[in-house]
Parts: sequence; C-alpha cells; structure tokens
Amino acid sequence: MSADPIYLLQLTLNGVTLGLLYALIAVGLALIFGVLEIINFAHGELLMVGAYAMAFALPAFGLLYWPALVVAVLASAIAGWVLYELFLSKLKLGELERSILITLALSIIILHVVQLLFTASPRIVDTQFGFEGVEIGAIRITWTRVIGAGSAAVAFALLFLVLKFTQFGRAMRAIAQNREAALMVGIRPKTVARNAVVLATALCGLAGAALAPVHLVQPGMGQFLIFKAFALVIIGGLGNIPGAIAAAILLGLVESWVGGFFQIVWQEAAVFVLMMGVLFLRPDGLFKRGAMRVG
Amino acid sequence: MSDLVLELVGLTAGYGDNPIVHDFSARLYRGSITTLIGGNGAGKSTLLRAIYGTNRWFSGQVVFRGEALEKLEPVARLKRGIGFVPQGRCNFPTMTVAENLKMGCYTLPGQKHAAAIERVVALFPVLRSKWRIEAGNMSGGEQQVLEMAMVLMLEPSLLLLDEPSLGLSPKMQADVFATVKQIASIGVTVLVVEQNVRGALMISDQAWVMEQGRKFMEGPAKEVRTDPRIRQAYLGGNIKHHAA
Repeated sequence: MSADPIYLLQLTLNGVTLGLLYALIAVGLALIFGVLEIINFAHGELLMVGAYAMAFALPAFGLLYWPALVVAVLASAIAGWVLYELFLSKLKLGELERSILITLALSIIILHVVQLLFTASPRIVDTQFGFEGVEIGAIRITWTRVIGAGSAAVAFALLFLVLKFTQFGRAMRAIAQNREAALMVGIRPKTVARNAVVLATALCGLAGAALAPVHLVQPGMGQFLIFKAFALVIIGGLGNIPGAIAAAILLGLVESWVGGFFQIVWQEAAVFVLMMGVLFLRPDGLFKRGAMRVG
Repeated sequence: MSDLVLELVGLTAGYGDNPIVHDFSARLYRGSITTLIGGNGAGKSTLLRAIYGTNRWFSGQVVFRGEALEKLEPVARLKRGIGFVPQGRCNFPTMTVAENLKMGCYTLPGQKHAAAIERVVALFPVLRSKWRIEAGNMSGGEQQVLEMAMVLMLEPSLLLLDEPSLGLSPKMQADVFATVKQIASIGVTVLVVEQNVRGALMISDQAWVMEQGRKFMEGPAKEVRTDPRIRQAYLGGNIKHHAA
C-alpha cells in the first residue's frame, strides 16, 4: 500500500472518468426530479437499454463507435419517451408514492424482460478501439474511457447551454422554480415534463453506451447504479445540477481510491458511507438545494 | 356594447368535487379597474382562477370578447388576451430579471421578444436597473412589478391580479396601486383581489363583493366604499368615523 504518485494519478484519472459517467445518470435523475417532482427508479434500466443497444449496434456498424453511440442514445431517449407517455404523464403532482411504485415496478419488469430475451450472461463489448489507449509516461487509459469521459463532459456543456440560453431549457428551470409562474407565462407543464424525461433518458443512454465497452453489459447493471445516482442527487443538494455533477465526480474519485488502496468490497459501500456522512453534517446536501440551479 | 371585455354567466367553479364559486354573473368593461372584495374563503381567488382556467369548471360561461372560453386550457386563454398574476411571489427566483422577462415571452414567436421586452421596460424602468439581479433578491414591490411586466408582455386585454400588494410595505403598496392605475390607463381591463380594500377601492371604478362563493353586491367603487355594511365588514368597521 505504497502511495506511489503514478499509481495515485492513475487511480485519480480512472476516478474522474467513472465519476463523469455517474454524473450523466445523476443529472438525469435531478432533471426529472426538478420538473416532475418524482424519482425515476427505472432510470438504471434505461441506462441498461442504452448499453444493450450499444452492444448490438457495434457489430452491426462494423465496430464503429460513434454511429453505435448515436443508436444507443436514441434507443434510451425513445424508451424514455414511451415511459413518459404511458406512465409518468398519468401521474398527478404530488403523487410521489405512486411514482416510486410505478418506476420501481417498471425497473424490475424491464430488467427481467431483457434477461429473458438476452439471458443474464454478461457480454463483453468490443469497439474499433479495442483495448488501445493513450499512454502518458507510466499512465495508461483506454480510448473507450477517454471518449466516454469526453462525451460526458461535452454533454454537460451542451446541457448547460440549453438550460441557460434556450427557451426549451429555461422552461424546465422555470417549472422547477415556480409552477404557478410557469402557468402564468403560458408554459405547458406536460410538454416540458416530456422534454425533460426524453433529455434525461438520452443522457442515460449516453452513459450506458459509454459504459458498455468499459464494463460488462448485463441486465442488472443499472440496478446498483440507480441507488448510487439517487444518493448522489441527495448529496449534491436535491435538484441542484452542478451539485450532482460535483458529487458524482467526488464519488468516482473516492471509489477509485478506495478500490486502489483497500479491499474491493469497500468500494461499493463508499457512496452510502459518503451519503450518510454528508446527511449528518449537512442535511440539505453539500450544495444549495433545489430550484434547478445551473450556475 | 363593444367595450364589453368579459362576461361571466352563472359561473360555478372550484376544486376536485367541490364547487366554491356559485352561479356568478358579472361584466367587465374596457380599461376599467374592478376590485373583488370578500372575506377569507369567500371564493375570490377561485373566481380569478376560474376565469384563467387553472381550476375546475362546473357550469356557466366565461365569455371573453364574445367567445366562450370556459372549456379552454389556461395557455389558450392567455393567447386570447387574459393575463393572470397569482397570489404570492410568482416569478422565477434564481433567474435574473432579464431571464424572467424572457420567460414572459414564452408564447410569443422569437422575433417579437426584443420588442415586447423593450415595451415593458419602458413602462417599468426599475426593471432595467435590476437587469442582472436574480428576481428572488429584489424587494417584494419590485418582484410584483416584474410579475405584472411578465404578463403584460403579451399585451393582454384583461389582467387578473390576486393580492398584488400582499406582504408589501405601505410605500410599496402605494407604488403597486399606482402601477395598476397606469396599466389600466393604457386600455387594459383589470380585475384585482386585494387585502388592502381601502387602497384598492381608491383606484377602482367598480367593486364586486363576494360572500360564501356568491355575489353579494356590486357597484361603483365610491358607493361600495361608503356602504355601511362594507365599511363595517372590510374597512376596519370604523362606524364612529362614518357617523362623524
């Protein structure tokens, strides 16, 4: 357990890349929570749908990464749209319990349907990049990780611009901040809610696609992620998007360091230890809560 | 009469399975200010919401410039020219004044935004000086002005205001009343619910008095102001002053 600086830097880079992917999931949850005031427990399964879409699209495109990524993002976004139209749009404001039961049930159903169709055996996903990577001195990161982290960073930049500078995005912040005022200026809550769900699930699909070549693809891959992402949303200050991103990167780092220096079992517990610690010290999370702040 | 802006015909409305406003009939004319008076729970806010369409309609009609609107959604009514500023702080607190005004343009096509913003800023210059301030950090009176500005961007012909002076200092209340008067002077018809009945009656042309969801009386603001029953119930009951 020597604190070799190269090893530490390698763990740190791994942590940041992992954290950015967690952030994609957490931001989607925060977005849906902000606009619909519900927690989407099926979010992890939408990520899994994205990962499976990536796994099937890659061979179809001759292992080309980018077209397969587009397919995966679209697959999750369409699944999200169907989820909204069939289920979430039927919820009334304040029906939190119903939303939990419905999305939790859907999550379990989707998981088992995928298991039925494609079996539970994990898939290894190969891309045009294989295991090639960048090497800087003694540090090595695979291209798939670099691209995954880079796409996530670009997605956050775009999301920021959309939320800050377009009426489409501002309407989401508007609903999260004051529903009555949104009605006053003529915003249709259902339209904005649908947009938010599709946007959030597209981010989720991106996370799934980016994770597919890095991790194993299996039906249960989204299930543990949702609880982590939920913890991150709370740590980040419920409804605070930069807060969720910061918390996610922090978690990626902590997990990577813990995994690198301690027994691997501690890695999975890290997020919940972190969450309990934060909630005891700062009950509202690390950052200012709510109102879908973007900056 | 061509100046008739709004006509309510036997309107019954409320929430869920409970009608709150019963069989309400009344008329509003162009450029007039009308105060809606009544005790807590009399159904004042419910009546405003029924005109804008954010609660449940049971029966009767909301005829706006000759068109029956009672079955239309709020956005459709907004587009036809009914603006509604609900009670309490009704802006986007962590957005700047500029962003709030931009949201006020939500139903307008993009090329009309700049002109609409320019128009309300000319009307309320205070907004220009607070341009980059988050709405939630302004004073209550400034926020109320912002909210009215957000709705006025769509050039409504009817403006519904629910308690615009609530929680404001007397000085700011006076400012808000002056603003309402100014809005009516550009031809907008105003229907206002006010806890400051005296202040509201001073700027109003007429008043409607509600009790238990029904219209109790209506008349020119001056008459209502001097009606002993109204003085007793809503103006502090200073009967001595009345007698003197």
